[in-house]
Amino acid sequence: MILLKLISWPYVRKHLLRWLLTVAGIVLGVAVFVGMHTANQSVLYAFRQTVDRIAGTTQLQISAGETGFDENVLDRVQALPEVRVAVPVIEAVVGTTLQDQGNVLILGVDMTGDRSLRDYDLESGDQAIVDDPLVFLAQPDSLIVTDAFARENGLGIGSQVPMRTMEGEKRFTVRGIMKSGGLASAFGGNLAVMDVYAAQKVFGRGRRFDRIDLAVKEGSSVDEVRRKLATLLGAGFQVEAPSARGQQFESISRIYSLTADITSAFALFIGMFIIYNTFQIAVTQRRAEIGILRALGATRRQIRTIFLGESAVAGLLGSLAGLGLGIAIARAMTGYIGSLLGEVYGIAERATEISTDPKLMLFAVALGLITSVVAAFLPARSAARVDPVQALQKGKYQQLSAGENRARRRAAFVLAVLAFACALLKRYWVLAYAADALAVAAALLLTPTLALLVARMLRPILRWLRPVEGTLAADSLLQAPRRTSGAVAALMLSLALVVALGGLTRASYDSIFTWLRVALNPDLFVTPSESLTERSFRFPESMGLALRAIPGIAEVQGVRDARIEVRGAPIIFVATDVAALVRRANVPPVAGDPNRMYQETAAGRAVLASENFALLRGAKLGDVIDIPSPRGILRLPIAGIVTDYSDQEGSILMDRSLFKRYWNDDTVNVFRVYLAPGASDAEVKRRILEKFSAQRRLFVLTNGEVRKYILRLTDQWFGITYVQIAVAVLVAVLGIVNTLTVSITDRRRELGVLQAVGGLRNQIRRTVWLEALAIGAVGLILGLAFGALQLYFSLKIVAEDIAGLRLAYEYPYQISLALLPVILAVAFISALGPAESVVRGSLVEALEYE
Amino acid sequence: MNKRVRIPGLWLCLASVAVAQDARQIVAESQARSRSKSQQYEGTLEVTGASNKISLKRWTYQRLGSYGASKAILRFTAPPEVKGVALLIVNHPDRASDQWMWTPAIERDRRIALQDRSTRFFGTDFSFEDLEERDVNQFDYKLAGEDAIDGAACWKIESKPKESKSSQYTSSLLWIRKDNYVAVQIENYNKEKLIRRLHYADIEKVDGIWTPRSIEVYDPGRQSHTILKLEKLQYNLPLKEDDFTLEALRRG
Repeated sequence: MILLKLISWPYVRKHLLRWLLTVAGIVLGVAVFVGMHTANQSVLYAFRQTVDRIAGTTQLQISAGETGFDENVLDRVQALPEVRVAVPVIEAVVGTTLQDQGNVLILGVDMTGDRSLRDYDLESGDQAIVDDPLVFLAQPDSLIVTDAFARENGLGIGSQVPMRTMEGEKRFTVRGIMKSGGLASAFGGNLAVMDVYAAQKVFGRGRRFDRIDLAVKEGSSVDEVRRKLATLLGAGFQVEAPSARGQQFESISRIYSLTADITSAFALFIGMFIIYNTFQIAVTQRRAEIGILRALGATRRQIRTIFLGESAVAGLLGSLAGLGLGIAIARAMTGYIGSLLGEVYGIAERATEISTDPKLMLFAVALGLITSVVAAFLPARSAARVDPVQALQKGKYQQLSAGENRARRRAAFVLAVLAFACALLKRYWVLAYAADALAVAAALLLTPTLALLVARMLRPILRWLRPVEGTLAADSLLQAPRRTSGAVAALMLSLALVVALGGLTRASYDSIFTWLRVALNPDLFVTPSESLTERSFRFPESMGLALRAIPGIAEVQGVRDARIEVRGAPIIFVATDVAALVRRANVPPVAGDPNRMYQETAAGRAVLASENFALLRGAKLGDVIDIPSPRGILRLPIAGIVTDYSDQEGSILMDRSLFKRYWNDDTVNVFRVYLAPGASDAEVKRRILEKFSAQRRLFVLTNGEVRKYILRLTDQWFGITYVQIAVAVLVAVLGIVNTLTVSITDRRRELGVLQAVGGLRNQIRRTVWLEALAIGAVGLILGLAFGALQLYFSLKIVAEDIAGLRLAYEYPYQISLALLPVILAVAFISALGPAESVVRGSLVEALEYE
Repeated sequence: MNKRVRIPGLWLCLASVAVAQDARQIVAESQARSRSKSQQYEGTLEVTGASNKISLKRWTYQRLGSYGASKAILRFTAPPEVKGVALLIVNHPDRASDQWMWTPAIERDRRIALQDRSTRFFGTDFSFEDLEERDVNQFDYKLAGEDAIDGAACWKIESKPKESKSSQYTSSLLWIRKDNYVAVQIENYNKEKLIRRLHYADIEKVDGIWTPRSIEVYDPGRQSHTILKLEKLQYNLPLKEDDFTLEALRRG
């Protein structure tokens, strides 16, 4: 501690800017990690809170995926002697036209028995309204709202709340206001309770419930009752504790969490190189100081401890600052992530506040600290090995910067071979990550050699540009590769990440465009919700015939989709008339016989699996999959594998006749409408709205509007990728600024000598500028080249773990070209400050430096 | 023989001549004296909450059959917001009753679950269980002494549900008048805590059956009470079986 105060602190104070730039890498890495995870956790926490608060004293919940089940299941559950109370529930997120309110979570319950599970603590209104289900049930427009919702909207008992229901916009009457806290704080307070049977009608559920909440009798074991119910109801039902819903949400949003992890890991990894670079140079600069300490009796261990201690302090402070910045990022992102997850996965949650997890915070600080210490380990070791006699000889340290050796190149070669071997083996998803990590390691080992090569290539160009300054700048790079290799590595990794993300984005868009063109080709889509991923509302099957009767419509295909758990993952089921679908949208298979697979599926003898389902769940053509349905397990072979972007977790396409039979559900989520030749989509849309809008809630979207919607969702999703790209570029910029600051400080004496022997200020400036441009150019060339490889490995990871999609390899030339001026401009701008500090600094001090 | 006893508004007329020494016999006799083929009345419910807020409801009540296998339909007629809501109760000799409710505004019937029998009956101080017929054989009785209620001499009888009987109450105290075998007061307990007190008044002889025309239920927990008044009471009318089905419930 004393050594840190006496030795380290004066050095840090003298080079504060450099030190801050070094710490910035850690700040950024930790901030991204904390920010993205906290935003994600806040949404997840809000979801869990909603689940918990709504669950009340519920011990078990019975559901059948998203499909719901027949009412008679309730009788079977209530008949079990160990069940104390079992009540039906319908949950739906609906829009209200109240200003600035957005969505409200409607909880449909049976008030007769529900009070045994949930506490409807009324703030105002006649307690008898809730106590007396008669009034509540007799008036299906009855609504109990929360105190917060009532206050925000100036509502009182008897006030009307307009809501968009299956029967169009309806006005509901507030008959009770719940006190704040508990149930009333679920879904950020935007919660309303209504009668479950009225909810069935309002949300087009038919005679079905979404789930059953239950509590067991005193003395009965919850686990035992769960097992009994699971046996009684069969495999099509899930009997779980309420907390399991939170886990499902977590599982669905897995890809988002993984993305956050990758970004922050990359940011920290790159930050590590900045720290390594700084410490490496600090060790070189402080050789004399180290020599004196060693001569005075300091042990090697003490020297190493000084540097590691400095890095620990830097890591700790950087991590703490990163925590603050991360929380600010989370505040800005939570609402966005909530709506994004809602739109992409169809699970709405209203997250208004951020929730900070102490464990996450501690982990982030530890991560920053460890990264910093690990980064400083090699420089610290090298400091400890300094020979006191050599160190005290002025000028000696500049000869120690070479360091390329054959062993490193050999190691890089071995790692590269291993990386490709891992990439070619498809058996385990972890190999895809291993391949990438090995490739990164190989690239890093080769960085000094390659940087030197590129710098040599650049030397004639720099000399051609400015004979004196250009030569000096190039020689500076060639003579001290160790000084710049860390920054070049950081820049290379950042740019490689940008290239990989850019390539992935471009390939994803191209694939989605193709899918939209081939599979989503109806002229109109009739949906009960503005959002195609929202599945709360459904149409009756009979509406299909009514639609078909409208002049100008040639064909109508009803589609029912729902999230159902298969092979441990909540995937999307798409049920439609497959024979009709294939006539209009013949999606070419990834695997399977194109004729036979559609015939088998249309006949209800097989299903089609999406490519991402097959890859993520290890399913192959011909594999029999067990699909849980309320009527028992449905075992069907996979007749074909097709590209489908319906869901990130994967999708299964089956014939709707099969779905109707096994789920006893003939409702429809969306009608695909094909127009007769010559019919105008605008005119037919008008006719549909004219015919139905007075009777029911519906939206008619043209093909163009659906494409826009999907692309908007894709844009929102890739918004996170753009954040990643921005972080990567920012870290790269930090690397350049850091390197230049270090480089200039390191060369103050050399540049001072130049000035002393007659070098003009402008010449010094240009030397620094050209060196900066050269570092930028070296990083760019290596980054864009390594990016090409990184894209290949990223595509492997996306295919084998993240999304299960085989995307085409397309090098993002546009992004790469755009990076050229950006990085060179950043390099140049970064050089302005250091260049000025050199030319305006005291010549005497510069000559005395060391 | 499966003997059942009706509690709140349905624990009605008892004759007064028989003499019984045994507690169980007294209860059985009380039940036998209230037996009828059918019953019909118009009821008025007055619920007074803790804050002395009074709410009124009216219904028509029809019952076909007697203890053990009776069916009853109750239709609310007032206030306007509950008009048309109906309840069908089908009693069984060997198990708990089935109950369905009809909501005209959404044209839906719904089953009232057994588990909900301890909940309050539509905002009154009665519970759904209080509406059920009680099988005499499902309880143990003990004479707890003699007492006077409203000036009339009564047997005070303690009843406890047998193990096989599921009830929210662990014990009840019944006061049965000695002169006409009409139950005039029932106190229902859970352990030592009084849950409900039912008081029967305005006892008149209707169609030869002694019947209380006013039943007051007091809930000490909520500090509220409900008074049910029976008007236009008639016994042994020729009611049709078809009017006591789910279809009839839906017809309104």
